[in-house]
Amino acid sequence: MNIFFLLITILFSGALLTFLVNKVAPKISGIVTFATIALVSFLFFTQVNIGDTFQFTLGEIPMQFGITPYTFIFAIIVLGLGTLASLYSIGYMKDQERLGYFYSNFLLSVTGMIGIVFSQDFITFFIFWEIMTWSSYLIVIYNGYNSRKIGMKYMIFSAIGAYAMLTAIVSIKANYGTFNIAEAIQNGAFNFSENIYIPVLLLVGFAVKAALMPLHVWAPNAYSKSPMSFTSIFSGAMSKMGILGIGLVLASAYSYTNHDNANYVTALRYALGWLGGITAVMATIYALIQTHAKKLLAYSSVAQLGYIIVGLSTGTELGVMAALFLAVVHGIFKGALFMVVGAVERQVGTTDMTKISGLIRKMPFTFFVALVSIIALAGVPPLGGFVGKWMLYEALITESNNYFLVIVIFFSSTAAFLYSYRFLFGLFLGQEEKETEHVKEAPITMVIPMMILAILLIVTGAFPGVLFEPIAHGMHYLGFSDVNWSMSVLVNIWGEESNMTYINLSIGVVFVVVFAFLTIKGYKGTKNVGTKDISTSGEIPTENENLTFQLDFFKPFERAAAPLYKRSMDKIWNDLGNAFEALTDFTRKIYTGNGQTYAVYVVIFLVILLLMKDTLFAN
Amino acid sequence: MVISPIHYIFVPLVAAFAIPLLSKINKELPRIIPGIVMFYNIIISFVLMQEVNEVGYISEVIAGWEAPWGINLVITPFSGFLVSLISVLGFLIWLYGFRFKKVIDAGELRSYNILQMMMITGAIGIIITGDIFNMFVFLEIVAITAISLTSFYRGRDGAEAGFKYLLIGGFASALILLAILILYTQVGTLNMAEIAERMHTVPQGIKATILLLFIVGFGIEAELFPLNGWAPDAYSQAPGPTSSAFAGIVVKAGVYGLIRIIFTLFDVDGAYDFLITAGLITMIIAEASALRQTNLKRMLAYSSIGQMGLALIAFGIGTKEAVFGAMFLLFNHAVIKSLLFMTGSILIYNSKDKTINSLSGIAKKLPFISILFAIGAFAIVGLPPFSGFWSKLYVLTAAADENMILLIAAILAVSVVEIVYYFRVVGKLYFPDKESNIEVYRPKFNAMIAMGVLGVVILVIGFYPDLITGYLHNAADILLDKASYIRFVLNADLPIQ
Amino acid sequence: MQEQFNEIFTKYHEIITIGVYGTSIALMLIGLYAVLTKKNLVKMVIGLSIVDAGIHLLFVGIGYIQNGTAPIFSPGNENAGDRMVDPVPQALVLTAIIIGFAITAVALSLIIRLYKHHNTAKIDQIKYLKW
Repeated sequence: MNIFFLLITILFSGALLTFLVNKVAPKISGIVTFATIALVSFLFFTQVNIGDTFQFTLGEIPMQFGITPYTFIFAIIVLGLGTLASLYSIGYMKDQERLGYFYSNFLLSVTGMIGIVFSQDFITFFIFWEIMTWSSYLIVIYNGYNSRKIGMKYMIFSAIGAYAMLTAIVSIKANYGTFNIAEAIQNGAFNFSENIYIPVLLLVGFAVKAALMPLHVWAPNAYSKSPMSFTSIFSGAMSKMGILGIGLVLASAYSYTNHDNANYVTALRYALGWLGGITAVMATIYALIQTHAKKLLAYSSVAQLGYIIVGLSTGTELGVMAALFLAVVHGIFKGALFMVVGAVERQVGTTDMTKISGLIRKMPFTFFVALVSIIALAGVPPLGGFVGKWMLYEALITESNNYFLVIVIFFSSTAAFLYSYRFLFGLFLGQEEKETEHVKEAPITMVIPMMILAILLIVTGAFPGVLFEPIAHGMHYLGFSDVNWSMSVLVNIWGEESNMTYINLSIGVVFVVVFAFLTIKGYKGTKNVGTKDISTSGEIPTENENLTFQLDFFKPFERAAAPLYKRSMDKIWNDLGNAFEALTDFTRKIYTGNGQTYAVYVVIFLVILLLMKDTLFAN
Repeated sequence: MVISPIHYIFVPLVAAFAIPLLSKINKELPRIIPGIVMFYNIIISFVLMQEVNEVGYISEVIAGWEAPWGINLVITPFSGFLVSLISVLGFLIWLYGFRFKKVIDAGELRSYNILQMMMITGAIGIIITGDIFNMFVFLEIVAITAISLTSFYRGRDGAEAGFKYLLIGGFASALILLAILILYTQVGTLNMAEIAERMHTVPQGIKATILLLFIVGFGIEAELFPLNGWAPDAYSQAPGPTSSAFAGIVVKAGVYGLIRIIFTLFDVDGAYDFLITAGLITMIIAEASALRQTNLKRMLAYSSIGQMGLALIAFGIGTKEAVFGAMFLLFNHAVIKSLLFMTGSILIYNSKDKTINSLSGIAKKLPFISILFAIGAFAIVGLPPFSGFWSKLYVLTAAADENMILLIAAILAVSVVEIVYYFRVVGKLYFPDKESNIEVYRPKFNAMIAMGVLGVVILVIGFYPDLITGYLHNAADILLDKASYIRFVLNADLPIQ
Repeated sequence: MQEQFNEIFTKYHEIITIGVYGTSIALMLIGLYAVLTKKNLVKMVIGLSIVDAGIHLLFVGIGYIQNGTAPIFSPGNENAGDRMVDPVPQALVLTAIIIGFAITAVALSLIIRLYKHHNTAKIDQIKYLKW
């Protein structure tokens, strides 16, 4: 049996197995899931070589599996994060209901993502895309009644995206005679001067998963409402499937740029770049006002995806490389952050930042992971986020002269500090609340994957070359000529390991010294106060008034950005949806219930047809 | 020839007359006999399918009158496929309804079984007959039995639905009769092959008139908009097994009639475009009506109408691939919608007022039924890896080959609507607003098997569609090859067109 | 004498033909009118029957030919086929009449039941199933 086929079969049977196992022994269904993904990862990294392909016919369509250098990057994200998240799930989902349901869908969505990564033709791609979509939908509604609407929104957007994609796929088959991705690209399927709707429809499909404005509205709620152990791959890996597709389409579109379609490509580049930029800014602004840590991270995810899309839209080597690098790093740190929030949620019972504070003493490991991830997220040296962002700026400034976009990105990136700070401070620093006295560190199965991710973040930050290697291969496959990261001033120094030890060491030393200094100095001057020990200017607060500093954390900022909050995209889509439903409600009044009316319809229909018969059947 | 196709009609008729007599001997016989008959149908179907895939056509003349004069039964891979599908479904529906709880006393049991069996026989008759008037007769058998079954429950609404069906069905029969009449004056024969052969002699205007009468007549059975006012009422009021039979069997017969007439009898090009337009409007209106539906069975009914619209669109595209896709769609619709109606009926049976809201959280009580319903819902909206995906894919590919991008967009937009209302129901089944503790009626073992088989078929075809694509290709090729049909039935030497 | 008779007969035949066709079409229209405008269920069913009757009449009408003979081959009447009345429509009409009868019977039984439940036979008051 071919290895690709074997891997997919293992995953499918694993999904079935956990479902069945749950009926007899709910406790081990999580272990089965973890074992399945771990086995698949092991087999993948040991048995599969880049460039392997496999083909079989299903439904008279040749299904092609394979792995290219480009998709290999995403395979790393999916399998790595999938393994860790499934390990994390064992602890996180303990004592929950419907474990069979959760785990089998978890495995199915991993199957979907792996299938997408493996697929070399559009039909396979689409099949796995849909499997990934509906299984993740089922997990989004896992939390019951309140999530149903959110799940529905997710499903509607996903369906619109998927069907846009399907339209493009069948058109590719009709116009270019193949379902094979590589052949279609060779035949010019994504050429903007030929059938412009094909690449555009595909981009719409991918943009939904990548949560690009204005198709992002499902994301914040869906990310925050699904179980956190799933969200870590939902946001960390699944959104990258959209990035995979966008990268593929854009790279191919750029590669045929010629005199005819240069204008289209430029327009597309600007459009996507700006959409990505606006997504980043708006999502960041929204993230700032969230009081729930989950929601905050969800918006932050959307913002980060915005950066990645901006990077892809530059179309230059450096920009795309930055985007892919950010994609991997974002997978790691966002996966870690959602796990952190999950740990907090599980141990404390809520992620409302107005209710929790000072968990650093209770959950030191979790805090460490959160700290490292936040550093990566905010783009502070020395971790990966910084490298990626640096390259992005460099690409935007030096290679595409897109200064406005730089300003937008820079703004959003700065604002990201604010919410990162709020997140870290709100949950972990500050005074302990009475309610959290009993809280303990998360169980070991949850801490281990988080710590692994944190270590990975440090490694990729210190040695970005580890990631640049596969990314460069992937980009070479996409048609970017002679990719090397020496183009970037910064990465030039950092990417090569020989220079790294020194820099890393020095930064480490500085960090430790500063940290020690602040701790010693700060420890002396602190006075233990309660979280509600604040001046109230003579007014006596009532018992129930929430006086936590987390409330109105960025009040002035909120006031400044108030007009932006008023018109949300979400509301526009909701109104559209409601209008559509009202319209259909009106349509069905045609069926009046009166039999005679139906008879009249029949006669009128017949008469109209008879009157029109010459035009209808002019043979 | 091992078994003659006449057994399809002969055996159920004999059984139908025998049931009232035999019921005097043993009370259980009325419900066992139809099962035996249905099972026999399956055997005939498989034998005939085997044979027809080798020889291409089977034609059986009744009472020794050769083709143009006598009535003949023709089995082609196309009709053979549909007949096999109907036979298998018929058996499963019988199995499902074998101990249907609402059928209580012996008299009702008897009439229910006879009617259901005759309805299926009529549907098979429509498909295998080679004579246009005979087709009309079978259509009327289907209509009368279907009307009786619609109003089978003695409640208030059953009769209302039945009457509406009857009123519109009466129109259908009148129009088809009129069409046959005019056709007969023009070509002087009732044999479909001979009609097809002589069709080119009919003046254009009259041809169009006849075609329109047929379209409206069969369109009523095939649930074309705006001729389908009766359908949601009938589907929602009929007993559970009958609704599945409506979706799986009766409407297939109606569509078959429409397709046979347009593809074989007439040679009018505009008819294909008409099919696309009518199918599109039907689909859009029906799915829109389903979106806000509160009654589960009514929702399923509208969805069924919408699917038929899609099938008509696919037939209307008219290329080999499109017809193949349409055949696949018919197959899927028969299997999936039957399953949905079967499971839906049990769910409804356990609800207070037949509404979707009252089903909230019932999945805990009826896990097996709910998961089958969910599989059906996933399959009907065309999500991989369920069987519904393939048919949609083939239809869309065929449409894309003809460069009908807007049509594709419309079909897919409607699919989004479908996803919304099906997933709403599935979500409600599994995630209740509040815990409900209703006493549920658990389906009996036989019903479980019937539904389980359909569920397995959906999954198997979803993972491995090649099991049936060969048959479907044969069927599609034959349907489009009109000349060889005529040549075979009449033994005439016709030039291949 | 013979010619005169033939002439009269031809005219008579034309009148009959027109009469039959006209009557059947008139019947159909009358029936249609009843079905589409009358609110009473029974009247609607009667209308449906009248439409059927019209079609049946038309069926018989087209089978008829002038001076036709019965379509029976018997000794001494071997060339009945030359001028026989077309038997097919007649056979069809018989079937169609039976079908029409069955439909009417079902309809009337349904009306009885509807009347029992709704206490009215007005179609526009019986619309509990809608939308």
